[in-house]
Amino acid sequence: MDSDDDFISNVSSEEDIMPDDSDNDMSNDEDYGFDDEPDAYSDLQKEPGHGKKAVYDVDFSVYQPSDIQKQQDDLIDEVNMILDISKEEAAILLRYFRWNKERLIEDYMDRSGQVLDAAGLSRSAAGPPKIQVIPDFVCDICCEDEPGLQSFALKCGHRYCVDCYRHYLSQKIREEGEAARIQCPSEGCNLIIDARSLDLLVPQDLTDRYHELLHRTYVEDKETLKWCPAPDCQNAVECGVKKKDLDRVVPTVSCLCGHRFCFGCILNDHQPAPCELVKKWLKKCADDSETANWISANTKECPKCNSTIEKNGGCNHMTCRKCKHEFCWMCMGLWSEHGTSWYNCNRFEEKSGMEARDAQARSRVSLERYLHYYNRYANHEQSARLDKDIFHKTEKRMVQLQKESGMSWIEVQYLNSASQALQTCRQTLMWTYAFAFYLARNNLTEIFEDNQKDLEMAVEALSEMFERPITDLADPKLKVEIMDKTTYCNKRRVILLEDTAQNLAEGKWTFNVELTGSAVNGGAASTRR
Amino acid sequence: MSLCQNRLQEERKQWRKDHPFGFYARPQKNAQGVLDLKVWECGIPGKEKTIWEGGLFKMIVTFPDEYPTKPPKCKFVPPLFHPNVYPSGTVCLSILNEEEAWKPAITIKQILLGVQDLLNDPNPESPAQAEAYNMFKKDRMQYERRIKQIVRENAAP
Repeated sequence: MDSDDDFISNVSSEEDIMPDDSDNDMSNDEDYGFDDEPDAYSDLQKEPGHGKKAVYDVDFSVYQPSDIQKQQDDLIDEVNMILDISKEEAAILLRYFRWNKERLIEDYMDRSGQVLDAAGLSRSAAGPPKIQVIPDFVCDICCEDEPGLQSFALKCGHRYCVDCYRHYLSQKIREEGEAARIQCPSEGCNLIIDARSLDLLVPQDLTDRYHELLHRTYVEDKETLKWCPAPDCQNAVECGVKKKDLDRVVPTVSCLCGHRFCFGCILNDHQPAPCELVKKWLKKCADDSETANWISANTKECPKCNSTIEKNGGCNHMTCRKCKHEFCWMCMGLWSEHGTSWYNCNRFEEKSGMEARDAQARSRVSLERYLHYYNRYANHEQSARLDKDIFHKTEKRMVQLQKESGMSWIEVQYLNSASQALQTCRQTLMWTYAFAFYLARNNLTEIFEDNQKDLEMAVEALSEMFERPITDLADPKLKVEIMDKTTYCNKRRVILLEDTAQNLAEGKWTFNVELTGSAVNGGAASTRR
Repeated sequence: MSLCQNRLQEERKQWRKDHPFGFYARPQKNAQGVLDLKVWECGIPGKEKTIWEGGLFKMIVTFPDEYPTKPPKCKFVPPLFHPNVYPSGTVCLSILNEEEAWKPAITIKQILLGVQDLLNDPNPESPAQAEAYNMFKKDRMQYERRIKQIVRENAAP
């Protein structure tokens, strides 16, 4: 799925939550356990109106660039105070320990020397390095030796002229996008250049880039943090759901920019289907859908070796290229049994033909089954895209409606809610089909399919009302109907998602594929089954 | 004078002053007979007490305009039978890789010594040619026989 194109999910439905859930009770959240830090910002940053959560909701916080900077600064300050090392060194150590402050402090207390070596810091307690002019200095990089040449060395003492240093750093930062682990330019020396030294050496535009790159490594280093994938969005989202939990929960998060995405795989919101199924499904669709359609329409399988065969001539006497099996295209039976009535198959009752046709039918069933789900999935995907177009026009329609009917701005907002509900519900419906494709049939799937049907009918009804001409929309009766339908759609969606999420969390679904694929980091997860 | 030229001139001065035994390294003359500092012809002897002892292998080192920001390219001529030498003769070594361990302070001497070390100490993690790699992994005896034969064909004077 091309995320730029299919930006369907950027409208979050404000009525995600059941209407009666207005109390702000966050205390009994499921405990996915944030790793270390107390998330001091989470309460401030919670999306507005995020009341008590439904079963399918996960805890998450959205951080803006300033929050991300502050978190880093706080951690650095803390380590700087506890360990009595400079802030720059604290930052390098924290990056080396992937911002795991506890482990850093523990390891540092145990064996500070080794920790410093490994992180690329000097054991020397000398003051911060500065630019100096040393008599008789020759730079080993450019071999310049003129008197008064300014030079710089980290605590390792590998001294190079300021120009060469600058050149080296700009190569690393600009060309290679490196920031957190730029080493001393000397061979084999693993000392890391710190932010303060860098600021001394390079011009402003480069330090900006450097700090931006450093900033990025913070989010990338932490497993509980991910960038919002929406174009031009600079926020990051924190969520405690681990990779191994992904077979139990679909961690959909919603950025302040409005983009809803799955924290597990960064794709657009794909509730109720778990990430692994989504991955399998998208792969299958990319490989298969068109091919499968064509195969279904134009080919049959060889009754003996199951090779797919396209009939390219008029004669019904088929000889499989692969296994040389000879059979009749019409009845799929053995050709030898056709005796002398060649080229005229009228032997429908023969046993061999019956069996071959059964096998054929069975193999076709799986294909047809896939196409059944795929077509519905693709249909909702397309409808959602069309609804998105309408959404862009909604604004205009609302203005128009205000003019024509004399309604106020607030009175036409129902169209906006309806449009958002449509898109969110279609997004969900689309994935219910991928989900259903992998479900093994049982009583639970009956309930699921009923829920799916209810939601689908409600969505189609709303979609139809929504497309009525402006003159109809001015009718207050239709307005009430649309508002009712919008609420109903949202409610049906919540019910469907709650049901699927509940069963997923309790491991009640049976899938016809292995859910703990290699990508979802098997191990721990599979032992819980 | 450009950084690249300046540095190469100094490298040449240093090399003429002092260089490890058995090696040679000199800038080549271009078509007009003018010395081209950016292309050096070097010789790398096999290390003593290894199967490579007694061999001398010719390598062309080409310096890019961005040198020493970017590493030079080292190429055995003719291509050498070795797990970390590409079929073209180019050497695959971390210190020669811009994205890996290249540092602008690495000298020609360090490069040549590094390549000499690589001869007897191939890195199976980054194979560059199938033939030598497979033989090295699967049939060490045959590999060593082959190396000894190559050493005879490229004996040091």
